[in-house]
Amino acid sequence: VRSFAVLVLLVSFNAFPAQHHQSESFVLAPGYGDLEFVLPGPGTYRLPVLGTAEDALVVNSLDQELSLHSLMASRFTLLSFIYTNCSDVNGCPVATYVMGRIQDRLKGDDALKETVRLVSFSFDPENDTAEVLQQYASNFRNPGSDWHFVTSRIPEELKKILSDYDQFVILDIDENGKLLGSISHMLRVYLIDHNFKIRNIYSVSFLHPDTVINDIKTIMLDRAHNYLKTQKQDQ
Amino acid sequence: MKRLLLLLSLMLPIVAFADETCMSPYMAKITGQEDFVYVWTLGVEGLGDEQDKLVTISVNPNTETYGKIINSISVGGRNEAHHSGLTDDRRYLWASGLDTSKIFIFDIHTDPAKPRLHKTIDDFVSKSGGVVGPHTSYALPGRMMITGLSNNMDHGGPTGMVEYTNAGDYIGTYWMPRDGSLNGATKSGKFAGGYGYDLRAIPRHNIMVTSSFTGWNNYMMNLGAMMASPEAMAQFGNTVVIWDLHARKPKKILDVPGAPLEIRCAWGAKNDYCFTTTALTSEIWLIYEDENSQWQSKKVADIGDASKLPLPVDISISADDNILWVDTWNDGMVRLFDISDPHHPVQVSEQKIGEQVNMVSQSWDGERIYFTSSLLSNWDKKESTGADLQYFKIYDFDGKNLKHKLTIDFVAEKLGYPHQMRFGAYSLYGMNQPVKNLLASRPNSR
Repeated sequence: VRSFAVLVLLVSFNAFPAQHHQSESFVLAPGYGDLEFVLPGPGTYRLPVLGTAEDALVVNSLDQELSLHSLMASRFTLLSFIYTNCSDVNGCPVATYVMGRIQDRLKGDDALKETVRLVSFSFDPENDTAEVLQQYASNFRNPGSDWHFVTSRIPEELKKILSDYDQFVILDIDENGKLLGSISHMLRVYLIDHNFKIRNIYSVSFLHPDTVINDIKTIMLDRAHNYLKTQKQDQ
Repeated sequence: MKRLLLLLSLMLPIVAFADETCMSPYMAKITGQEDFVYVWTLGVEGLGDEQDKLVTISVNPNTETYGKIINSISVGGRNEAHHSGLTDDRRYLWASGLDTSKIFIFDIHTDPAKPRLHKTIDDFVSKSGGVVGPHTSYALPGRMMITGLSNNMDHGGPTGMVEYTNAGDYIGTYWMPRDGSLNGATKSGKFAGGYGYDLRAIPRHNIMVTSSFTGWNNYMMNLGAMMASPEAMAQFGNTVVIWDLHARKPKKILDVPGAPLEIRCAWGAKNDYCFTTTALTSEIWLIYEDENSQWQSKKVADIGDASKLPLPVDISISADDNILWVDTWNDGMVRLFDISDPHHPVQVSEQKIGEQVNMVSQSWDGERIYFTSSLLSNWDKKESTGADLQYFKIYDFDGKNLKHKLTIDFVAEKLGYPHQMRFGAYSLYGMNQPVKNLLASRPNSR
């Protein structure tokens, strides 16, 4: 488990006050700790296709334009939707924290480290400039890690991405309709396979590095099984 | 005052409020005053347009429309309208018909005061491979899990669960374990009938919990005829099944005799238990994880006098896990149980709500309790006694007593028979006022 200091960094990165309600009884999302159950073994369950991960034009933390599909090509992609000012410890920060834990796990896994890419997409391009994304990334991304921080600066493109990935985003307002600066959204993190197919969707209660890696191994085993089946049929 | 809105998919005790009860915990919550109650309503011959419909009632006391029906959208026929559920982002309401197996998906976010029919799933049976009678619509991340009540082979009780994307695309079917086809589950007691009804999940333990009712042959039969038939009365479920949530595989079948219906799991992060009530035997059962991390079931209380067949139907648990509302359809009563010791619930009060009562829903803070009356078209009482037969009612609850505030007579309004209630609020969608006003005043962007 990564140190609590990283968590503090995640929460304190932004300058906005918390909009989501927190209290003394606040409990951290499962992704911050150990799973309380034993996962089913890799390959013992199915992960049906949940839809297509649509392409889109994005810009990365180096201000380079590229397509989402170019990022997703030939590997598994774990795609989160965040904004860097998010102050809800069980919102965007847990997604970044879990991706950080996965990054660490991949480093020591020869079978997986070249096959998984992490992508954090900000839906707040106005604040999350390339410089901000770069700074945010530098706090969590290990040197040489395959973790990309992107956004979209074209309003129509951003709207399409949010629609394609079923991300309902609300700019929070007060009782007079004045924008508060915070954004409410339902955290979703997508596991996407080599064929741009969505294979799992994780929310706060489900997102955990063990689960994601288990799912990746399951899809790999499924692919291997299908390959062997095809070979057998050809013979 | 801006309503507190939690747009988190959590099953964590974030706040010490009561819950806007009985839904999937992985969705947006209304933590303040709800603006609307959406009532999925059974169409009835001779009443209005005779079609099933989604009725929107304004329930915010601070509005001029409080207590009024502000919208009604009919779906073009009768389907045995029954239960409904919201997607995890709460933008869509899925409402199903037990007879036709159609699922109607309503857009409730574009204008929360005026839901519109977004999509109709009319191939549920064929896509699922024979599941009939979509019942509970339960939100999972980006997905909906639908429990079935029956099958298209014999229209009996064996059935399954069907998973869809939020867009309404079919994902998979998971059959209930039964004798001869346990699908890897352990049969811990006498029963394994393969019946289905309600569904809840506890992701921190990676489990789903399902209950069991009866098949199409029974739920579409006249109640008197069914009860007079020993053969029909033998066709009810007697089990609760514990599933591996991630693998979607059944793990353990628990005996809960007498048709366990609604399942309500405790909200506390350390409260590893759920309640259900048995329709035929009038009991409260606890589904719980024991000291050996094994899930078990046991009877923990009686509900009224079982010999008078009160017929427990909907239940509602408070978010502090201290009280449980229990409706009994046949005598029209609601009973309040102290469940602070879940192994020993104690009834603390009871009150007559109407000639019959089915659904009960409470606001997040537990201060407002809503009731509707209808159970099934062929089971409902038909002798009209006025506004107390088919109704929507609002009560205030002060922690001890229920105080009646409002009744809408669905027969007098020519709407039909009201069933499942779901709450709506402008705050869920970044609105603080009606859409028509927002269009004129809201800034376009930050």
